[in-house]
Amino acid sequence: MNDVLLTIILIVIKLGLVLGTVLSLAAYMVLAERKVLARMQMRHGPNRVGPFGLLQPLADLIKLLCKEDLIPERADRWVFMLAPAISVGTALLAFAVIPFGAPLQIFGRTIELVICDLNIGLLYLFALSSLAVYGVALGGWASQSKFALLGGLRAMAQMISYELALGLAIVPVVMASKSFSLTAIVASQQSLPNALRHPLAFLIFVIAIMAESKRTPFDMPEAENELVAGYHTEYSGMRFGMFFVGEYVNLIVLGSMLTVLFLGGWHGPFLPSVGWFLIKILAVAFFFIWVRGTVPRLRYDQLMAFGWKILVPLGLLNILVTAVWLLWRG
Amino acid sequence: MGIVMSEQHLLDYMYVLVFVLVGLAAAVAQVVVSRLFSPPSIQPKTGEPYECGMDPYGSAWGIRFNITYYLYALIFLAFDVDILYLFPVAVAFDTVSGLRGVIELFLFIGILSLAIIYAWAKGVFIWTKKKPAG
Repeated sequence: MNDVLLTIILIVIKLGLVLGTVLSLAAYMVLAERKVLARMQMRHGPNRVGPFGLLQPLADLIKLLCKEDLIPERADRWVFMLAPAISVGTALLAFAVIPFGAPLQIFGRTIELVICDLNIGLLYLFALSSLAVYGVALGGWASQSKFALLGGLRAMAQMISYELALGLAIVPVVMASKSFSLTAIVASQQSLPNALRHPLAFLIFVIAIMAESKRTPFDMPEAENELVAGYHTEYSGMRFGMFFVGEYVNLIVLGSMLTVLFLGGWHGPFLPSVGWFLIKILAVAFFFIWVRGTVPRLRYDQLMAFGWKILVPLGLLNILVTAVWLLWRG
Repeated sequence: MGIVMSEQHLLDYMYVLVFVLVGLAAAVAQVVVSRLFSPPSIQPKTGEPYECGMDPYGSAWGIRFNITYYLYALIFLAFDVDILYLFPVAVAFDTVSGLRGVIELFLFIGILSLAIIYAWAKGVFIWTKKKPAG
């Protein structure tokens, strides 16, 4: 009985810690992005609220909460209300399986630093990233606005196309580590991170997650100069905030996926494992922001052609090469 | 440690369920809080869709968009299932006897990529330009 109680308490603590960390990290990622982008464009960025603008996310939250929550007259009300929740929910749910540190030993108990180590963790992540398409597609459709509909369509086609490349890039990793469990995949990278073992898969994966997250150079779904704001044109107040937070939570999810699958997860010298995990996620996020500050937007047909004509065939080829390599190595 | 394997699995999914509930609660709470604070101000034009300040023209659900979006969705449907078949192949790859496994993988992927080659040859990936009006 005591044991069961302790387990439940542990789970609650882990849940609270993970959700709290992820949400506050997402809020500060917004600030970090604005700051870094500003610096790259020779500006200062937000620096009025609190020291160095550190209270800006809080101010933004209060502002969004106090804004009017509009639902357009002609919109499909229920779908309109549901869409942002799908967007934020699928992103948050992904954290249930991501291992963020080496197992801890406290009072003779081994505590796994992952909420639940599903034996199909990778499939679960893949399924969630497919479900995330519904958030933007339904949001764009339900608003009954032309900008939103076009943005939703573009987002849908782009996300499903790059999901194929994403899936194909994961296959060689699974072939080498022989498991779908993310903990096992991290454990298999103790000596050498997968990025060095499968460089081509790593490259495909990085490009695919950049397109999945709908960020520059792949931000056609919300291209502001042609589509206003894309699929969330009609959203206001906290519902817009949910799309926005969902996007940044998703950024952290994709960063953790990259870290777990290719960058060796929590392995690293000297620092505690959780520290390494955070450093790697932040490095990936910084890279994303850097790319956004550097690269111009592609054209939509170029984007789709790149996905289907280059990434998918390369992914297939990579699987075959990995198979031959595994056979040759014995 | 008397937990049977299947019960352990159930327990794992219980955590996922708890995560779903907490996520849902967070999503609903935000909307409820904003309901309490936000000032409603309904004007005659408030409920109209945004079209850069012009009066909305027609319905958004009646507009025509490029058929290519639909074609991409179709090939995705065909191809994504194939990729899902690749996952079990990948996880059990080392249990198949070497050369035979690789040859089978080559055959499977060869047949699989026919879907893309077919779409490619049919010109799905060429974005058709709209003919200029008039």
